[in-house]
This record gives sequence, C-alpha cells and structure tokens, in this order.
Amino acid sequence: MDNIELLESYNSYLQEQKANGKKIIAYLTHDNVPIELFEAAGFVPLPLIFAGKDELMDASHSYLPPSTCSYAQSCIGYFSSTPRTHEFLDLADYILLSNHCVSNICVSEILSNNFNRKRLDFYVSYTRNSNALKYYKLELKHLQKEIEGITKERIPDHRIKEEIIRHNNFKTIVEQVSKLNIPGSEKLDIYQKAILYGPAIQAEIEEIISSYKSNTKNTNSTHPKNVIFTGCSIFINDYLMDLIEDAGGNIVLFDTWIGRNYYSQTFSEEVIASLNDPIDLLTKRFENNVYGDHCVPDSLDNKIVFLENYVNEYHKKYGDKIGVINHIIKFCDHFSLFQSYFKEKLQERGVQVLNLERDYSRSIKGQLSTRIEAFMEMI
Amino acid sequence: MSELKCIGIDIGSLATKIVLMSNGDMVDWRLNRSTYDFKRVGRDLFDDILTKNNLSRSEVYVMSTGYGRNTIDFADDRITEISAHARGVQFFYPEARSVIDIGGQDSKAILISRKNGNVIDFQMNDKCAAGTGRFLEVMAHALEIPIDEIGSLALESNKPASISSTCTVFAESEVISLFAQGSLKKDIAAGIHKSIAKRVASMAKRIGVEPLLVFTGGVAKNIAVKKYLEKELDFEIFQPEYPQLTGAIGAALIAKDKNAN
Repeated sequence: MDNIELLESYNSYLQEQKANGKKIIAYLTHDNVPIELFEAAGFVPLPLIFAGKDELMDASHSYLPPSTCSYAQSCIGYFSSTPRTHEFLDLADYILLSNHCVSNICVSEILSNNFNRKRLDFYVSYTRNSNALKYYKLELKHLQKEIEGITKERIPDHRIKEEIIRHNNFKTIVEQVSKLNIPGSEKLDIYQKAILYGPAIQAEIEEIISSYKSNTKNTNSTHPKNVIFTGCSIFINDYLMDLIEDAGGNIVLFDTWIGRNYYSQTFSEEVIASLNDPIDLLTKRFENNVYGDHCVPDSLDNKIVFLENYVNEYHKKYGDKIGVINHIIKFCDHFSLFQSYFKEKLQERGVQVLNLERDYSRSIKGQLSTRIEAFMEMI
Repeated sequence: MSELKCIGIDIGSLATKIVLMSNGDMVDWRLNRSTYDFKRVGRDLFDDILTKNNLSRSEVYVMSTGYGRNTIDFADDRITEISAHARGVQFFYPEARSVIDIGGQDSKAILISRKNGNVIDFQMNDKCAAGTGRFLEVMAHALEIPIDEIGSLALESNKPASISSTCTVFAESEVISLFAQGSLKKDIAAGIHKSIAKRVASMAKRIGVEPLLVFTGGVAKNIAVKKYLEKELDFEIFQPEYPQLTGAIGAALIAKDKNAN
C-alpha cells in the first residue's frame, strides 16, 4: 500500500524549505554523492528513491525505450506522467548527473534537457587506485565550484566538515536500526525516511529506535524465514516488501544502498580528527567504499565473502539458515550482468540464492509472489 | 481410524486440476478450463469430487497450488506449484532429479535434492509468454490448426523452419511471413517447437538440470516439444501418465506429508 503520509509530509517539508529560500538538488541515489557539500551550501538534497509503477514507466516512453532500466523509466515518469504522482518533484531546481550507471546519465540528461532542470555534473571513477582518488578529489572541487557559482558564496571548509560530522553521526544512529529485532518492513520504512530527510530528522529516528528497544516483542515467531536482501534497493511505495512478508519471509539485512551501503559509509573520530581538509575526508570515504556496487575490480567478490560470513555468523548465533534474495530491476546493466556469477559463487559456498528479476508492472505480481514463496519453501 | 484423505487442487492460468488421494493412491481426479472465475471453477470441481466419492468437507485436507492458489478460500493450506511439481514427479518417478513444467503462462525448471527430494533450485520464465503453452496456442492459431494437432504435424517435418524471434508477438509475424514465402506448415510447426525447446532448455541448463528429468504440465502432452527438448538437453526425458495432474498430485502428497508429521 502506498505510504501517502510519508509523501505528503515530505512535500510539506520541501515546500517549507523552498519558502525559506533554499534550492533543491534532485539526484539518482548512489553512495558516492557528496550530499554534505550540498547541505553545507544551504541546498536541500532530494534523493529519487521512489518506486516505479506501470503508469510511470508508460509515461517515460516518449524519452526512453521500454528496454531501459525500469527505475530509470520511472524516474522520467515522475516528471512526465499525467496526472503527476510526485508533484513535489517540481520543486527541484537542479539535477545531479553522475555516472553510477548508464541510466543515471540518461535520466539526468533527459530531465535537464526536457524538464528545465539545471544540471550539475559529478563523474566518479570505478576504481580506487591513486589516480582514481585524485580524480574523485578533482570532481569534488569542481562540484564545489559549481555550487559556489550558484550561491556566489564560498563554502567555508568548516561548514563542510560540520556537515560531514553531522551525517556521520546520523548514519551511526541509523546503523542501530539494523540491530533491532523488528520486521524487515519496519526497518525499511526507517531507512527510507532517514535517507529522504537526512539528519534533519535525527531526533525522530532516535526516538523510534528508543521505542523499539523498550518494546521486547519477539518477531521471529511470525516471520520464520529470514533472508538477506541484496542487489537493487527497495524504493518508497514498492509492493515487493509486502510480497516477501506475505510469503512468510523476513529481511534481516538490507545489503543495498537503502540499508547497509548507506549507513556503513562512516569514519571513526580519529580519521575525522586527522584530516583537516573536508575534501580529503570525502575522498577518504570514497577510498574506503570498497563494498560499493560499482567499485572495481573486487566489489562483487567482496560482497560474496561478506554475505557468506554473515550467513555463517547468523547460523552460529541463531541456528537458522538464511537465504539471499538478489533483487534485479529489469534492464539494470550492473546487477543483471552479474546475477549468474553471484548466484553460482554463493551456491558453491552453500548459500541459497534467489535471483529476483522484475520490473515495476502490476501484472507480474503473481509470478513474483510464486518465486518468493517457492524460495521460502526451499529454505 | 481411517486415513485422512487429501485433495490437491491446482489452479493454473488455463486449466484447473483436482485430485483426491487416499493411502498414497490417486482415487479420483477432475480437470476443467480455469476461465476468468478461478474460484467458482475450483469450487465446482471440489464439490463434484466430494459428492461422487461420498465425502464431506471435514473428511478431507485440502492443499491448493498453482497461479490461483490464493483464491481457493476452502483450502486448508497452500503451496507453490514449484514445490508441488517437485513432490508430484516423485509419485511417478521416485528417482527424479529435475523437472521441466510448461503450463499455460509459465515455464519452470526445478532441481531436486538427491538426499531428501526437496527443491534445491528453480528457474521460472518472466512475464514473457515465449516458451509457454500460450505461445503454442498463438502459433497454432496462426497456422490455423487445432492445438492438439500441432505436435504431431511438427514431427512430420525433416527440415524445421528457423524461427529467430523469442517474443511471441514477433514470432507470430515471423510465422505469417514464412507462410507467405511458401514454407510448409509442418516445417513451420517444427520450427515453433524447436524454438520453445531452445528457450526452455536454456533456462533449465542455468540451474544444471540432470537425468532423471520429468516433463510436466499441459504442454508435456505435446510429443514434439518433448522430442526437441531431448535434443537440446541431450538426454532422455520422461512424462508421467497425467502430466497436467502432477501439481495437484504433489499438493495432495504434501498435504499428506504435513498431516503425517
């Protein structure tokens, strides 16, 4: 069911920010976008983390062929569908173009060229060698200059560092959600909200965590089939989470950008204290992000080892064998390409994997449900 | 005390199947078109099988399966067709290690554990109709021959036409175009079957299907699909006597297993 309340409150929040003279930057989410820079300059980052629908995908076909990633189609649909389903997106002044994937570039270009959004560019290398780090740093500086060109004000280093620390603390708090003994759907709601608003709702997230901690309700009896969810994130108002829980599944770890990839991008206090230049700090985070889905050459193998260890540790701790659902949005180049290798390698290690490839259409709900239920029966 | 009788009801997109099992034997069965009203067709078959066997609702345990399994509100439990087919083939072939099930709108490949007969992996087609019963129906319509005859016609061919499209819509255009070029019906029919077999075999190979492989579902009655599947997989495959009933039989057996535990 659509979380109308969340979208309405987010709409009010953006309207309020706009009324206060703030500029809004929309971006297709990935873990190397330096949102701290935006916030230090007084901009509001708007992550496009909304799930697709038939209507949204259909509305994109004047711009993109149906054989493009369903999420990319939906992103265009947010802006081109009639009636509009996400009107608050009209409030976005800028779109950040980044090269996380081909769709990211296509969507940002189309939005900027056809929907009158000014474009900011931020290209990221996929490797982590010394040249890649230099390149990332140059891109950060370039982006900073572009933003300063808009505001006509220099962003002071101390402001960037303050934002880095604020986001760092916030992510550390969000990480606590992963350890709560609550159904996956409730964790996901918190992650989605946290990423949507960022540290602006830190107190609220702390309160939610605290209320869960004081509630000792055991959820294992109602959700006996525990699984790890990896691959493409579950975006806001996606029906997928309902299908998993209706099939008796419970996600114990979201190994996706909305989840672990977000809250694990943190620094220790020592690292923060040791680097004075905030751009160096952001570069350090990029360097450390070896689990990011677009870090070559080893991100996939790192992920496989991480998941194998997680499954084994979970088994030791709780006695349960858990499976892995690898979520692939149809025509997502990255996850689609590696799905067979990923499944094969984990199966060799005794981990059961469901490659769940799908688009956002309603007509495939029955088949998706069968695959998920069969996987739950299998584990 | 008499043994609990189990009913498996398989609501497929094209056909609804129901079986009554007692003491591990199939006592009775029914099959009908699913139509748009899964629930009513299922209910009618259920009432009929109970009446004909002088049974009351309380004397049977009902397990639903198939695409419409959630619509059967009189079922005691439900199971996916993947688990049901895996269990069902073991009724006919206890040594079965793999299953290919081609139904009206789905095709599936299932791998069964040597150790315990459980499902260890599966693959399923996505929403595309290629490689399903629906594909065969559309092609039979394009060739203007009854669906029951397309398999035997294909077997008359020594020179299957090449159908390169895997999409049902494009393949239908290709068939019409082959017709226009003067290709023989039997060669086009053979090409259609080869195309289905290639697609399904490719899906099945992804999970490493191995002998003994059992072919189930409505399309398993088509001898040409079986023949081309064997060519693609390079080993013999087997069909149960009632391939369409495998899911319902499996559901009934799972119901029995469940009540025994």
